[in-house]
Amino acid sequence: MNHLYVLAALIPVAFVLGWWASRQIGVRRSGAEVSELSSDYFRGLNYLLNEEQDKAIEVFLKLAEYNRDTVETHLALGNLFRRRGEVDRAIRLHQHLVSRPGLTDAMKTVALLELGEDYMRAGLLDRAEALFSDLVAMDAHAPSALRHLIAIYQHERDWHKAIEHARRLEVMTGEDEAPMIAQFYCELADRSRQHGARAEARDYLRQAFECQPDCVRAFMLTGRLLSEDGQHAEAVTAYEAAINADIAFTPDILPPLLNSYARSQQMERAEGFLRDMLGRYHGVSPVLALTHLYRQRDGERAAVDFLTAQLRLRPSVRGLMALIDATMDKIEGEARENFLILRDLTRKLLEGQAMYRCSRCGFGAKAHHWQCPSCKNWSTIRPIHGVASE
Amino acid sequence: MRPLAIVILVIFVAAGLVLGALNADLVDYDLAFARMQLPKGAALLGAMVIGWLLGGLTAWVGVSMRQRRQRRQLRADQKSPLAP
Repeated sequence: MNHLYVLAALIPVAFVLGWWASRQIGVRRSGAEVSELSSDYFRGLNYLLNEEQDKAIEVFLKLAEYNRDTVETHLALGNLFRRRGEVDRAIRLHQHLVSRPGLTDAMKTVALLELGEDYMRAGLLDRAEALFSDLVAMDAHAPSALRHLIAIYQHERDWHKAIEHARRLEVMTGEDEAPMIAQFYCELADRSRQHGARAEARDYLRQAFECQPDCVRAFMLTGRLLSEDGQHAEAVTAYEAAINADIAFTPDILPPLLNSYARSQQMERAEGFLRDMLGRYHGVSPVLALTHLYRQRDGERAAVDFLTAQLRLRPSVRGLMALIDATMDKIEGEARENFLILRDLTRKLLEGQAMYRCSRCGFGAKAHHWQCPSCKNWSTIRPIHGVASE
Repeated sequence: MRPLAIVILVIFVAAGLVLGALNADLVDYDLAFARMQLPKGAALLGAMVIGWLLGGLTAWVGVSMRQRRQRRQLRADQKSPLAP
């Protein structure tokens, strides 16, 4: 009889042992799957780091088919599609993610944000705007959504909405967006000026100064407004303030400033200001301006002497070209022919040069833009300083 | 198979043979629907094998049913959005 009790006790013990062993085998098998998945993941990551996006997409596609509930893999894939320009695939993938039942709210909002970026890339700005506005209203990824909305309004040149959202972003993140807002007011002021609404333009400029008291663009626009109104003496003050606010913009400010000096007959003040600039600005623009001034006041000889002395201190192609132009009349014969060749050469050298460069992305431009056409940052395009340029 | 596992298997087989030889006497079993006579050692071994198999089967059925349910739900969820 004792023997039967032993048997009865043995069956449940064996049952538990069998159950445990089966579970262990299952865990080991799924572990092998996980390790296969993670090796795929790292292979994909490796392709990404090596900028082999085609191969990375292949690996991630396989990964996503294998393990369909991995939202992060889908998001990474969508991002890759968008970056490769396959926006329609990215949109389909993110739309599918958004509509998937059982997705957590956090993941759904991430997918919505990505979908909004897809729409932006595809140029469907109205849809992107609606999505980002919803995200802001839901307070989900609001700073990113606000940044995208500001980009959309900048693209649409809806400066009032851009200002409104930039202010909201400022409150939300605590980051200083005042320089950007000042640029938006400057855009509004410039538009009003072009439409002849001068009082309105002045009001926008006042608001730009409230945001950024040393806004170069606002000083330049003020100078332009005053100059167009015939208030040349006041325009001189505004332009001088612009140079004092950011001396790097001297090549752009000097031509209208010199014009205002001449119109207001303040050439002595002009000489004093330009002489002062020689000490603190190392470009060639003030030298050329002073050469022009000396030519008109003291004659060609004084101008050439001044230019030659300055070119020894700060050699530049633009200065050399001015010197060739100034001495051309005095040279005859074969030397003149050689000088003409030299002048053409320097002109061609200057024509091929980018005069401005974005300090953020390195975009080179021949004309000045307040917003970089490449990276969309404001006030980052500045004159290039070097022998061949400024 | 690893050498350690082979050694353990051999030890258990040897222990089974020894226990079988030591408990070779026949015992009557009444299972209500059938009566039988079995050696004590064989009954011991049979109980262990049956318990082990039942336990393993229960775990396997549980896991595979859960996986099947998840797969069915996903298939119903959507068509793949990854196709070009």
